[in-house]
Amino acid sequence: MIGIPTAVLLGSALFLLLLLLATRGSAAAREISSRLDVPLLDDEAGLDPCPREFVARIFAPDDWEFVRGTKSRELQKLFRRERRLVALVWVHQTSTAIRRIMREHTEITRRSHDLRFTTETKLVLLYGELMVICGMLFLAIQSAGPQRVRGLAVYADALSQRLAQAQHDFKTVAARPELHGAGSA
Amino acid sequence: MLSQSIWWACITLEILLLARAVRGKLSFRYPVFYCYIFLVVFQDLISFLVYQWKPKSYPYVYWTGEFLCVLIGCAIVFEVYHVGLVSYPGTATMARNILVVLFILAAAKGLKAAAHDPQWWLEANALELDRALRAMQAICIAALVALFLFYSIPFGKNLRGILLGYGFFIGLRVITLTFFIATSNASREFWGYTYSASYLLALGVWCVHLWCYKASPAARQTIHLEQDYQRVAAATQRRLHDARSYVARAVGS
Repeated sequence: MIGIPTAVLLGSALFLLLLLLATRGSAAAREISSRLDVPLLDDEAGLDPCPREFVARIFAPDDWEFVRGTKSRELQKLFRRERRLVALVWVHQTSTAIRRIMREHTEITRRSHDLRFTTETKLVLLYGELMVICGMLFLAIQSAGPQRVRGLAVYADALSQRLAQAQHDFKTVAARPELHGAGSA
Repeated sequence: MLSQSIWWACITLEILLLARAVRGKLSFRYPVFYCYIFLVVFQDLISFLVYQWKPKSYPYVYWTGEFLCVLIGCAIVFEVYHVGLVSYPGTATMARNILVVLFILAAAKGLKAAAHDPQWWLEANALELDRALRAMQAICIAALVALFLFYSIPFGKNLRGILLGYGFFIGLRVITLTFFIATSNASREFWGYTYSASYLLALGVWCVHLWCYKASPAARQTIHLEQDYQRVAAATQRRLHDARSYVARAVGS
């Protein structure tokens, strides 16, 4: 009932997971014996490893506009390279912070007697969504640079708003005959 | 000749594994796994005798033993789940629910396929049925391993060895059986050897990891053990939502 691609995909996924288990198993054992008992779910521990005003400038176009105004190709090239590096470091730090949040959560809930499957699944999905966003940001910064990523984000936001508007219009149009029918009944 | 060598190598390693289990008292800690090994040794010897004296009955003996091994293989997966998660009731709850969802999905897929092609059940041979069962086992093992990794469940060397060996064995079986069924007679010989060698590989992994007893590393005990789950989940949800708005603010700034 399963074809060759499915079988190979299933087997490869299993091998990959088992390899991760083999490599992480010994690392986890070492970690257990060496780690200190740090407080978990510390709300004071911020997400933000960089100053806020600094983060706000990574994707903002102002600096790029200024550098472009100098008409120096060397400076523009240097700026793009440096800004891309800073943006990538920021994405890496942010994804590490998100992973830490989830690790702290799983360290407590794995022993929990009253764990709720649906709540936990929602959290895992939210975590997955965030990690996908970080991965996409990483790829977008690598390929297009942080300045264009902001453009992409704005475009995606506008697109989602247009989709929401279209969905709303569709619902309104679809509801009309019912209303018409209800009136004539 | 090669298949005979693989056969004898397998029997030798199985007997070595059983001898080490008795000597190191591992058989009391993982009874289902060692029942499986004992059954395979028994099946190998019976199959050998039947092959020598009554070759026509060999396929019946082989497939009976093979399906018994599939059943006990499911029990091995359950033993790994039970022993590995005995101190982690939260992860055990997740594992139970995920396995139930997977079984429902598999049953639904099977019923849908049967409704679409009712002849499949009549025409499917033992190999196809074996592959379908092994694929289901592979999915369950993959889900369990993903959970163990996600919740950072610490494993002892012995239990990790059982899971690694059995997982590699099942993964290779799914791939080799698929190619064995799908390809022409010329390449079937190669996939036949790979099919046999997959078990030899698993036995090698088991011999290395189950040579002697190694206690599971104890996970760190925290003072947060009695925290209410809903409170912890709400805190995590709030922090993840904060993270999402933080990323959106930074990129859209």
